[in-house]
Amino acid sequence: MSTGSVLAHALVLVALPTFVVGLVNRTKALWSGRRGQPLAQLAYDVVRLLRKQSVVSTVTTPVFRLTPWVGLATALASGVLVPVLARPAPLAFAFDFVFFAYVWGLGRVALMLGALDTGSSFEGMGASREAFFSAILEPAFFVVVGAACLLTGERSFASILALRPTDPIHAVAWVASIVTLLVVVQVESARMPVDDPTTHLELTMVHEVMVLDHSGPDLAALQAAAAIKLTVGLTLVACLLNPLVGRSSGAVVAAVNVAVTLGLAAALGTVESLVARLKLRAVPQYIVVALVAAGVALLATTFHAGGEG
Amino acid sequence: MLPLVLSSIALAVGALLALLLPRNGWRAAAAIGTQLAACALSAGPLVRVLRGGAPLEGAWPWAYPVEVVALRVDSLSAFFLVWSLPMTLLGTVYAVGYLDPYFKRGRNGGPQFALLNMTSLAFLVIYSAQNALVFLLGWEIAAVAAWLMVIWDYRSQKVRFAGFNYLVSTHIGLFVLVAAFMLLYAQTGSMDFRTFATVLAKPARIRGVAFMLLGVSFALKSAFFPFHSWLPRAHSAAPAHVSALMSGVIHKAGLFAFLRFVLFIGKPEEWMGWTVLVFGATSAFFGVLYTSVQRDLKRLLGYSSTENVGIAAMGFGVGCLGLTWGVPSLVVAGFAGGLLHIFNHALFKCLLFYAAGAVYRATHTVDLERLGGLLRRLPGAGWLFLLGGIAISALPPLNGFVSEVIIYSGLLSGSAPSPSARVALVCAAALLAFVGAVSALSIVRAFGVAFLGAPRDASVKVAGPTPRSMTASMLVHAAAVVLVGAFPVASLAIATVPAALFSAPAAAAANEGGLVALLTPVQTAAQALLALSVVIGGVGWLLGRRSRKHVTWGCGYTAPNTRMQYSASSFSAQFAAVFEGFLPQLRRERLSKDVFPAQAGHLQTHHIDAVERRTFEVLGQGEEMITRTSERIPEQPRFAFAAGLVALVIAVGLLIGAAR
Repeated sequence: MSTGSVLAHALVLVALPTFVVGLVNRTKALWSGRRGQPLAQLAYDVVRLLRKQSVVSTVTTPVFRLTPWVGLATALASGVLVPVLARPAPLAFAFDFVFFAYVWGLGRVALMLGALDTGSSFEGMGASREAFFSAILEPAFFVVVGAACLLTGERSFASILALRPTDPIHAVAWVASIVTLLVVVQVESARMPVDDPTTHLELTMVHEVMVLDHSGPDLAALQAAAAIKLTVGLTLVACLLNPLVGRSSGAVVAAVNVAVTLGLAAALGTVESLVARLKLRAVPQYIVVALVAAGVALLATTFHAGGEG
Repeated sequence: MLPLVLSSIALAVGALLALLLPRNGWRAAAAIGTQLAACALSAGPLVRVLRGGAPLEGAWPWAYPVEVVALRVDSLSAFFLVWSLPMTLLGTVYAVGYLDPYFKRGRNGGPQFALLNMTSLAFLVIYSAQNALVFLLGWEIAAVAAWLMVIWDYRSQKVRFAGFNYLVSTHIGLFVLVAAFMLLYAQTGSMDFRTFATVLAKPARIRGVAFMLLGVSFALKSAFFPFHSWLPRAHSAAPAHVSALMSGVIHKAGLFAFLRFVLFIGKPEEWMGWTVLVFGATSAFFGVLYTSVQRDLKRLLGYSSTENVGIAAMGFGVGCLGLTWGVPSLVVAGFAGGLLHIFNHALFKCLLFYAAGAVYRATHTVDLERLGGLLRRLPGAGWLFLLGGIAISALPPLNGFVSEVIIYSGLLSGSAPSPSARVALVCAAALLAFVGAVSALSIVRAFGVAFLGAPRDASVKVAGPTPRSMTASMLVHAAAVVLVGAFPVASLAIATVPAALFSAPAAAAANEGGLVALLTPVQTAAQALLALSVVIGGVGWLLGRRSRKHVTWGCGYTAPNTRMQYSASSFSAQFAAVFEGFLPQLRRERLSKDVFPAQAGHLQTHHIDAVERRTFEVLGQGEEMITRTSERIPEQPRFAFAAGLVALVIAVGLLIGAAR
């Protein structure tokens, strides 16, 4: 891992989230016939919030003020593990995806504790939903990653995401993996149709309701963390889609990967414009779609091995 | 062997002194002093064995049924002893502060301290005995001592019931164990474990029967599902240090004994490995489901023991399958991961129980629905509970993650010989992920409801600070939790030599290298995460210094009160609804139907243990159920057909079984 590529990884990790969120919002604006906000609106928001004074509830403890920052740390840490540029990340090792999943888990726990610390029943509701959805989502991620492990014979993110539709079995697993990971991203980063990041109807939300009471720098940390998580999740799918992996020089592959990530952001924005948010009761069923897709990928592996043996 | 014998004598003398000395202070000092001496005496030799030294051995002639008391401490025994003895010592130190209010009322603490010493003594016997009768003696000392310690509050009928429930369950386990030993004795004519090994090493039907009997007995000891129903009761009734020691330390004896017999078996059959894996996975699944709905903080922690022994057993199952398939990397990942998980579980579970004990001592309740906002009143216990909670959810950078990642590495390694076995192992990994996420849910719920937010019940008074002896014990455990998490490679050393017992000596070294290669980057990543969290947390703390205080935003509602907070039941309601079939709920309600209720209604919900419930249902109404079923047979031909089919399958199965 050269210094240059570590620097490039860090730069993309810090800069890209702003534009991913900007592009999602711009796409939604275009679909609804508006001009929309600047692409770097999130960066302006974060800078503005950092300069503001925060308001803290009298009920809270230091947990409330620390958790947004722990969440930001976990988002950044997860970004260091993921092949954002379609080449091994600065910290790539065997079973790095297990670490990745649990780092996201730590971020979720921090977010939920911050929400419960306010003593607000709305925020408790959000935390409860987040815990529930993530509990049924986690197996889907591990099944799909396990299937990719078995098909590629590799044990690390950059290599298992090199899964390509080379034959019918691989094609089935590849499509199923993309579907599963997209649902994982939608649930984890609170996008439509699971959660609506724009409304402020507290009874209908998961992520936004947990940050109701945060303000100033704390809110900035939460927004930055959410954007980084979304970007990191999308790059996972981008690595699967990137057509140039292993066929071109590192810089070109990296540039294409960033482009694919931005393309996925636009696709996400399109989905959000065309699809209504699911009823909360239907969300678990939507997650089961991810589980089923992951199961299909896993079952595909048995055919693959059967053909060989 | 001499230092361990001297330790046993010191512990016995300490127990006697604790009974005879006049004042509680002296009794505590006698117990702590002798346990300290035992730890100091045994530490050196045990560490030497754990680092690959020769096993300690000794034999003394004895009267007829025993004939010879043979003791042997190999690295597996040393692994269990090296943390069991100090943790019991820490529990005894904790007890001094925890029981102080009882002592002030004139209660004699002598028996309790003597029993703590006897527990340590029982460990020395169980973990080193080479003779079935001596082993049973140690087993029984541990069981009875634990029972007597559980019923410390014997004046309460609930506590006595929980105690007897435990006593009966543990003795059912003992009968099964005795049956297994008798079976083996009938084959060998000796109670010596080494002769058992000669029988168990040969694949035969007798081996399978012995395996099942031993497995059931050890599963009862370690509270595996569905043999766990005594555990939540006992854990919620016992004093906190007893719950902690039972859950974290004493019940690990079941897993130890299981591993000891796996060593005798040598190369298990494939069904044995799958049985252990499925049994462990079932325990982990049901244990964690029950943690998500408990109201009683200590019951919740009790169920989480079932979950964690299940996770360790999943590791052992992978190890056994590795032995069968001859895949050394699976053997070492499974057994090292499982052993390390046992150790880690002891560390964080004791910490959590101690923190729960601090809550009970201060508020006299562990009912989550009545607590709230405790972090402001009991900051020490609160933050330490949070630390233990993050560790028990297996989140990095703490210790729980280290052992789970090793088990994951076995499950996802794809080194099983057949495609379907590989798929099954990936499914087990997915189940482990589910268990991790649900245990995060449970711990967020427990910590969030008890320690965060505002107090829910004004009648709960929070008494003074946590005594220093309790805080000290918790701090030692917390330090270990962080150290193991931040330095996994160094911590692995505790489990590598015992795990190497299971594989061929030549392969052991290479596999140890594999584990170190697995954990070295994990260590870098964990340390980086720790550093990043501390730095960013520090910056964030400084940035948010100039904050204004205001009430929590009520979404426009201006008269919120503390009872409107999300409660523990509401937090898990949505989750519990999905798993309704496994989580039966009792509901007592008197709700008024009128639009303008004349009198206040009430509603009480309570999640009960499905296994216990069904057992009692069958016991109470078994006859009725059979009558009802048999009445339906002539009426419904389909039912009769199904019953006939089942009977036929059983009959054919028996015939085939007998013919083999």
